Amino acid sequence: MLTKLDELNLPDHWYLTADDECYFIGEYTAGRGFAHSATNQLILNLKKSVDRCGLPEWRHKEMAIRRAAVELRNSLNPQFLTSATFVPIPPSRVVEDPLYDDRMSQVVRLLDGGVDGRVLVLQLASMRDAHSAANRPGPGNLYSNYRIDNTLVDPRPSQVAIVDDVLTTGAHFQAMKRILLETYPDIPVVGLFLARRVPNTE
Amino acid sequence: MATAPTAYLRAISPLTEMGAYEAMWADDETTFASLAARFRESPELLPSDFVTDYAAKYFSEITRQMLRDAGVNQFGVRVHRAGEYPKKLRDAEDPVELLYYRGSWDLVETRSVAVVGTREPSQLSVEHTSRLVRLLVKDGFTIVSGLARGIDAAAHKAAVGGGGKTIAVIGTPLTHSYPKENAQLQERIATDFLLVSQVPIYRYSKQDYRRNRGFFPERNKTMSALTEATIIVEAGQTSGTLIQARAALRQGRKLFILDSCFQNPSLSWPREFETRGAIRVKEYDDIRRNLLLDVNQT
Repeated sequence: MLTKLDELNLPDHWYLTADDECYFIGEYTAGRGFAHSATNQLILNLKKSVDRCGLPEWRHKEMAIRRAAVELRNSLNPQFLTSATFVPIPPSRVVEDPLYDDRMSQVVRLLDGGVDGRVLVLQLASMRDAHSAANRPGPGNLYSNYRIDNTLVDPRPSQVAIVDDVLTTGAHFQAMKRILLETYPDIPVVGLFLARRVPNTE
Repeated sequence: MATAPTAYLRAISPLTEMGAYEAMWADDETTFASLAARFRESPELLPSDFVTDYAAKYFSEITRQMLRDAGVNQFGVRVHRAGEYPKKLRDAEDPVELLYYRGSWDLVETRSVAVVGTREPSQLSVEHTSRLVRLLVKDGFTIVSGLARGIDAAAHKAAVGGGGKTIAVIGTPLTHSYPKENAQLQERIATDFLLVSQVPIYRYSKQDYRRNRGFFPERNKTMSALTEATIIVEAGQTSGTLIQARAALRQGRKLFILDSCFQNPSLSWPREFETRGAIRVKEYDDIRRNLLLDVNQT
C-alpha cells in the first residue's frame, strides 16, 4: 500500500510543506553504504545511465521500468487510476541530449488500461543530473526551465498525479506543481513516488 | 467538479498508525497475542481502523512528545502492509503490526543471525561469543541481539569492534534502555546501525516493571523472525533465551546450540531442542556449513 508523506518524514524533504500531498511506495537508502533492499535495487536499476544501453546489464533497466509500472499500478485503486491524469517529471536531459532518459514516461505509459498518462511538462535545456550534481537546483530554477506542451492540455484533467522515481528534496515536485497549477488553477495535484530518499545521517 | 484525490487514494500515514497502535495498547487488556488475533481476523485493516481518529491523533501526539522528552528526535515506524515492512516478520506466531526503529533500516535486508544467551555468562562464554561473532562478521553476517546484559551485549560489542554490522531488538521502548550500563551501546547502535523496538511507548510508561518485563520475551520472537538463524551461546534451564529457541524452530529458522551447553549436566534443554531439529555446534564450521548451504539452495 502507498504511504502518505506525513509530518514524520516531511523534514527529510526540504522543499515540501504540510500542504503538499505526496505518496510513496518504498524507501531508498542507497549511498548509505548499505543497499540491500528490493526498493534500492529497483531504483538503482531504474536510474542506470542510458550510456549502458546495448550492454547485458541494460535488461535490468528494462525490467525495472516494467516492475515500477506494475508496483505503481498495484498501489493505486481503480478509481484513482481511471480518474487521474499521470504526468511524469521530465528527465534532467532534453530529447536531443545523448543521455536523455525517458524512464518515467515509459513507466507512466506502461500503467496502461485506460490510464490517462501525459508528458505535459517538457524541459527547455538539459540540467545536470540531480543525483550527481553537487548543487541541486531549487524549484525556481527548475520551474523556469519547464514549459507546458500545449498540444496536450486538453481534455482538462480532473486531478493530476505528478510521477517520479525518487522523492528527494521535493524541488522538482514544487516546480511541476507550480507550472501545472498555472495551467489548471483549480485542480488537485498530488505527487506519486516509487520511493522517498532517506537522508544519509541521523 | 473536481473531486479531491484523497478520496481515491488509500494510503498509510505512519504517524496516524503509530498513534492508533499506541491507542490500542492503551487498553489494559491488549497483548501481542490479542492484537495479532484481531488483525488475523481482519487482515485488510490497519491499526487506524480500530480506533477513532481522535484517539489516533491524541496518542500520536503524546507518543511523539514522550520520544522528544527522551531525546529521541529521529525515529521511524514500520507498518504492516506499508513499504519496507519485512515479510519475514509474518513467520512469527503473533506477528507485530508496527515497529519503531532508529538508524539504517536497510540492515534488515542483510543476511543476519541472532546471537543470544544468558545475562550472567561465564567468562568462557563471553570469549566464545566474541570469537563466534568475529567469524560471522567475516562471513558477512549482520549480528542481531537483544541488548541485554551478558551474551547480548558481548555479541553487539564484538560485531561493532570487529567492523561488522549489528541490529539490536530491544524489549523496552525507544524511550528507554535496559540495563542502564548498555545505554551508550544502544545509542551507538541507533546512530550507526539499527535499533528496533515493538514495545508501545505509552503503555510502558503507565505500568510497573513487573508487567513491562513481559515485553522482553516478546522481542525474542520478533528477533527470531527477523533473522535466518538463532545461535545460543549459554542459557540456563529457565532462561528467556529458550523462548527464542522455541520461536526459531516454530518459524522454520535454524537453531544452533553451542556444544558447551550440552556438556552442562544440569541442563536438559539442549538435548530437547536437538531432537526437535536444533544443530549442535562443536566448531564454527558447523554453523557456516549450514548457513552457506542455504545460499546454494536459493
